[in-house]
Amino acid sequence: MSISLKHLHRAYGSLHAVHDISLDIPSNTVYGIIGRSGAGKSTLVRLVSLLERPDSGEIYYQDKRVDNLAKDDLIAQRRRIGMIFQNFNLFSSRNAAQNIAYPLEITGLAPEAVTRRVDELLDLVGLTGRGKAPISTLSGGQKQRVAIARALANDPDILFCDEATSALDPQTTRSILTLIGDLQKSMHLSVVMITHQMEVVRDACEYVAVLENGSVVEEGKVVDVFAKPSCATTKDFLANLAPLVEQEDAKKQDMIRWSAEGGRYTLRFRGEKTGEPVLSRIQKTYDVEFNIRAGGVQHVGTEDVGTLICDIIGEPDEVDKAVAAMQLSGILVEEEGLNA
Amino acid sequence: MNILFSLVWNATVETLAMVFASTFFSLILGLPLGILLCVTGPEAQGGIIPRPILNNVLGRVVNVLRSFPFIILMILLFPLSRIIVGTSIGTMATIVPLSIAAAPFVARIIESAVKEVDPGVIQAARAMGSTTMQIILKVLIPEAMPALVSGITLTIINLIGYSAMAGAIGGGGLGDLAIRYGYQRFRPDVMFVSVVVILVLVELVQVVGNKISARMMARR
Repeated sequence: MSISLKHLHRAYGSLHAVHDISLDIPSNTVYGIIGRSGAGKSTLVRLVSLLERPDSGEIYYQDKRVDNLAKDDLIAQRRRIGMIFQNFNLFSSRNAAQNIAYPLEITGLAPEAVTRRVDELLDLVGLTGRGKAPISTLSGGQKQRVAIARALANDPDILFCDEATSALDPQTTRSILTLIGDLQKSMHLSVVMITHQMEVVRDACEYVAVLENGSVVEEGKVVDVFAKPSCATTKDFLANLAPLVEQEDAKKQDMIRWSAEGGRYTLRFRGEKTGEPVLSRIQKTYDVEFNIRAGGVQHVGTEDVGTLICDIIGEPDEVDKAVAAMQLSGILVEEEGLNA
Repeated sequence: MNILFSLVWNATVETLAMVFASTFFSLILGLPLGILLCVTGPEAQGGIIPRPILNNVLGRVVNVLRSFPFIILMILLFPLSRIIVGTSIGTMATIVPLSIAAAPFVARIIESAVKEVDPGVIQAARAMGSTTMQIILKVLIPEAMPALVSGITLTIINLIGYSAMAGAIGGGGLGDLAIRYGYQRFRPDVMFVSVVVILVLVELVQVVGNKISARMMARR
């Protein structure tokens, strides 16, 4: 189910937590919303998940307007969305199975049907036979699995993940992201993932919107944004991409640094370009030399995105020509202090 | 010795009757009031239906009732006892003022227990499409249960103390026995035994209450 936001505003006193946000979130995909703390992510997810009403603007699920629903319709609509949280928010008074049963119970489903569905859901998230476990005995990853099962109990079309992996270690994060990805495909979910971790966007999302001071500053397919980030916030996120998060494929390597000080130029290229000897061709054509400081190729979705940080040595006009030639061949060149 | 035993035994039964009946009725009055205080309060503290004005008024009424000296409240409430149980003297009559005096206390204890429920859990319940009633019955009360049990234990102990005071104005029970025999007829042995029985009752309630609460926590 696609989600469309039109000119959303939400202020708390003089603080504009969400300021004129318009987004089209396609159906049947994983859409990431990334921002630093205080960027308005939490408010935005509370608005989109109908926990809070916007001051102005409209929210549509498919073609249905949902931001102004009356109480009963609102409750009915909430039962058709799933949501998971950073701190899992499971009921400590209920065991794993009873937690998963909760959303089914409140819709008045018969107890036998509840039990059957709960068993299915436990299987679905890989917790077969752990239904009777008290919540406190589960690990963080298992708790999030219970939360995912609970969120999907009523077969929703949309799943909101509010910093769902922020409390988990990298390995568990990866297994939860894989699970969400698999469920997205098998249940044709529209997943909206709120996060402050670029790794999550890289590994799990197809689209991304970057949030800053309550507004969207960049938006698009993750591969495009990684290959051609246009704003400073996005570049910051990319620069701080934790190098320790190993990807399971040997091909997907992170940035390697040869020199402590950074180069003056950042080159970004994607797809087939990662295999081409563009630089040596340019070096032959123009009177310049490349001194490469750091570089690497990352696997984003199904594509490779490369980054090189380097100095370009030569006469200024030769350097300009070389830069122009690189841009012509599809490499994004940023010069420190000019393009940042 | 036999006479002393039967005096103390009868008084103990009266005290227990008073305490448990008034605990029951004060819970009936105080539990909904406490939950109402919590759910109409600020959103960050379990206020799922914030109603600032109602919350303020309720809070003040509860505070006034709580700060009222118990013995005076009892005297004021005797006419009410006459209407409800037909008399203002005796064990049955004392249950009315005891229940009403304890209700605001119960309300505050329930309120603070329910406020402790993790706001994130309440948010999750709302996001899943729970009605207000479902949140109260299926989330707030079960999640707060260990704290509620501790609170009810405290209420029972307080009511044992109150019921001894009620003895002073013709309520029956151990307090009445201690005052009439022990104090007014100079029988220190009766006074001593009555006080010991009260102490034992308090200790017993505390131990059992702690056990139940701890067992609930252990299952989580």
